Amino acid sequence: MDTVSLALIAMCCFAVLTAFAALFTKDTFYSALFMSVTLLTIAGMYALNNIQPVFVLIAFIFVGAIGAVTVALAAMYRDTRPKLQIDFIWFLPAIITFAIVFNSIFGFESAPSVFSSSAVSAFVEEYAVLALFFFALAILLMLAVVKFVRREGV
Amino acid sequence: MMVYLVLVTSIAILLIGYVMAMSSKELVRLLISLELMFGAVFLALMPLFTVQNLITSAFGIAVLTIFTSGGELMILIAAMVTFSKKFHSFSTDDVTAGGEL
Repeated sequence: MDTVSLALIAMCCFAVLTAFAALFTKDTFYSALFMSVTLLTIAGMYALNNIQPVFVLIAFIFVGAIGAVTVALAAMYRDTRPKLQIDFIWFLPAIITFAIVFNSIFGFESAPSVFSSSAVSAFVEEYAVLALFFFALAILLMLAVVKFVRREGV
Repeated sequence: MMVYLVLVTSIAILLIGYVMAMSSKELVRLLISLELMFGAVFLALMPLFTVQNLITSAFGIAVLTIFTSGGELMILIAAMVTFSKKFHSFSTDDVTAGGEL
């Protein structure tokens, strides 16, 4: 298995884990942050497969605009006594649906995967510094929001 | 194999968003769950980019999906802010059926 496949597996696992974290966290503000991380990971999967335009659209239009507004809303209307908001009865239909879809997906004949293995190297060579700055900027923005909310004690 | 993995991940995130939407008691959480579901849709589009003949169409669908969902969520955010100003609450219990006030 090549590096791109391993990276894709790791990113898929990370996206599901952060989505679960958004579901299970009591605080809505952190839930919004975890949701943003999930969407950025999904955007990162596009970047990994050398589909940069969609990465830019998701990371900067969707997460940058809508995600940031959601985080700001969650910070403004933050509950002082956060509580777990999960109705466990809904896990049952979700698990049944997942099992049915999982079975349908793997029930088909295996189709060839043509994700380019040179995607990472091409991207890293051309846009390494740019990507580094983008991620640093995103992390700094998130840290600034967390610091602001903690200082205000909302 | 990687295409299947992407699709299974997409379904998992979609169902997590679904569970979150069904059990949320705050409008902000409802918004977060919708964004997770849209994220799953974006991920489900990725296998289209593996078919050479479909790449241009896939990009068109992706652009359309991202901008449509973004606009839809902005309208929802505006509705939530209006709701909050009117009722001083973000609870889903205060939302009546059919959008009645």
